[in-house]
Amino acid sequence: MKRPDWWRSDATAPFRLGPRMLPGRVWTASGCFGYGLAAHDFTAADCASPYAGLGAVVTKTVTPLPREGNPMPRLVETPCGALNSIGLENVGFDAFLTTVLPELEARGVPTIVSLAATTPEDFGPMVRRLHDAASGFRHWHGVELNLSCPNVAEGGHDFGSSPATVARCVAAARADLPDRALLAKLTPNTADIAQLAVAARDAGVDAVSAINTVVGLDVDLRTGQPYLPRRFGGYSGAAILPIALAKVDQIVRGTGVPVVGVGGIATVEDALKFFALGAVAVQVGTAQMRDPFAAARVAAALGQWSSS
Amino acid sequence: MTGRPAAVAAFGKVIANELVSSAFHRLDVVLDVPFAFLPGQFVMINEPGPRAWTFSRPFSILAGDGDTVALLYRVVGRGTAALAALGPGSPVSVLGPLGEPFPAPAEGQVTVLLGGGVGLPPVFAWWRRWGQPGDAACFGARHAGEVPWGLLGDTWRVSVDDPAGLAAGHRAASGVVTSLVADDAELPDGPRVVTLACGPWPLLRAAAALARRRGWRCWVSLEEHMGCGYGVCKGCVVRVADGGHERNATCCQDGPVFDAERLPGLVGSDLPTCGDGPTGAKGGCA
Repeated sequence: MKRPDWWRSDATAPFRLGPRMLPGRVWTASGCFGYGLAAHDFTAADCASPYAGLGAVVTKTVTPLPREGNPMPRLVETPCGALNSIGLENVGFDAFLTTVLPELEARGVPTIVSLAATTPEDFGPMVRRLHDAASGFRHWHGVELNLSCPNVAEGGHDFGSSPATVARCVAAARADLPDRALLAKLTPNTADIAQLAVAARDAGVDAVSAINTVVGLDVDLRTGQPYLPRRFGGYSGAAILPIALAKVDQIVRGTGVPVVGVGGIATVEDALKFFALGAVAVQVGTAQMRDPFAAARVAAALGQWSSS
Repeated sequence: MTGRPAAVAAFGKVIANELVSSAFHRLDVVLDVPFAFLPGQFVMINEPGPRAWTFSRPFSILAGDGDTVALLYRVVGRGTAALAALGPGSPVSVLGPLGEPFPAPAEGQVTVLLGGGVGLPPVFAWWRRWGQPGDAACFGARHAGEVPWGLLGDTWRVSVDDPAGLAAGHRAASGVVTSLVADDAELPDGPRVVTLACGPWPLLRAAAALARRRGWRCWVSLEEHMGCGYGVCKGCVVRVADGGHERNATCCQDGPVFDAERLPGLVGSDLPTCGDGPTGAKGGCA
């Protein structure tokens, strides 16, 4: 597409987010690009690398201990999106810190580490150890708190739907993260997402990421049962783009809290809609699963306008 | 995992997309970026642009000369129905080659190839690359009409569940594909024989059981629902034995080829079958 008249920014230029300069405004979303290492040798005719122009790779969410995740099947494709119930399968914080993060640093991948925990107080020790182990890393730019994964419930409630719990998580992480960006990823499965954003800002985040997946369910008509063993999954992909735009708008207009827009972005047009509403950056998620170059293509399309 | 060719996100154009039997379509695509593959590897296929499916579909590579790649598929769902409608010149996106291939042959190895239905491509590709006169290449289908006779030629042994309708000049045994070699006295017992199998779970279980009985090594290529195909979504995990423990492995990146002895699920009872789920399954089952 041609550059819209209202678009004046350069999404591939460095920008400040809290205490940190990020290399660009197009990122990959957590859970959709692994730890950011699986595609390091991939090539394409029309794009230099899956990492070209990216401001950050937000890693797959890491938890204090390794997790095996949920039973199969874990994915259901729908006509305009997908349901997932992966269950935060990950290598655990220790292995991430000793093997994954150093490799991301060595490869020069701009990294934001996604963390989840079962209590707010668990975030503090992880962030402290990150800070101690990686304070000299040039490419580790920050932490995104995954407060909204609908597959890991605490007491039957969504972990991140309470403003008070969000504030406790953010405060626990902020105390030990003085020089990197801190983000909280918010759930859309709540009546008032703006309230969550305000709680996160007041407790110290530099921005909120909105949105995580929408709770969904699909039924296998051959059995009359839900496809997913845990019944519900996180709905993502093209179908949730208008939901994400509405939530971002509620936060930006209602609170002024800086927002990183995420939800259904596959193209530069999708990304521009979030920027038009005032998002400071965007994340490409589900589209990254079918095209490892999806975010890089969005960044390239935005970047060409900076020199034109 | 070492020595695999790096994956390419290529754009292709359909050269041909035709039925090669009553059930199986062969898709030939010319690529904008050539890539080499190893037998057992697969590609993720999609329609580029706004018509893209949320997830690409995994297909084992049947053949390829670098500039082109050929796949075999059966129409079982939305994705493969859309694929079958693509005519010559249609654009497709092709991400590949992906996954762990079948092992290359060792010195003195005798190989038993077992392909069931749309599980034919990886063993067919291996046979084309490395097959020797002493190897046993076997294909099984549900009925004679499903068999891609033109592809298999005279060297492949064929079995069908139902021999009715077998045309003159075509030979096929009745029964499961493993019965073609189960008691073949020309194949020695012991680990000099290596079995490579791909197909539905009952075939893989039968292959693993036969290999155990005769002391053969056995490698299987699994068909599993996949999201990304390159290891990032963790949507295609299988349980593998690892030093006395079990752990998750991704079918797409750690597999799809596994040593049968490392798959506890192969001797279990609650197993998925080809095409029984909502997403793609390698081998062309979506």
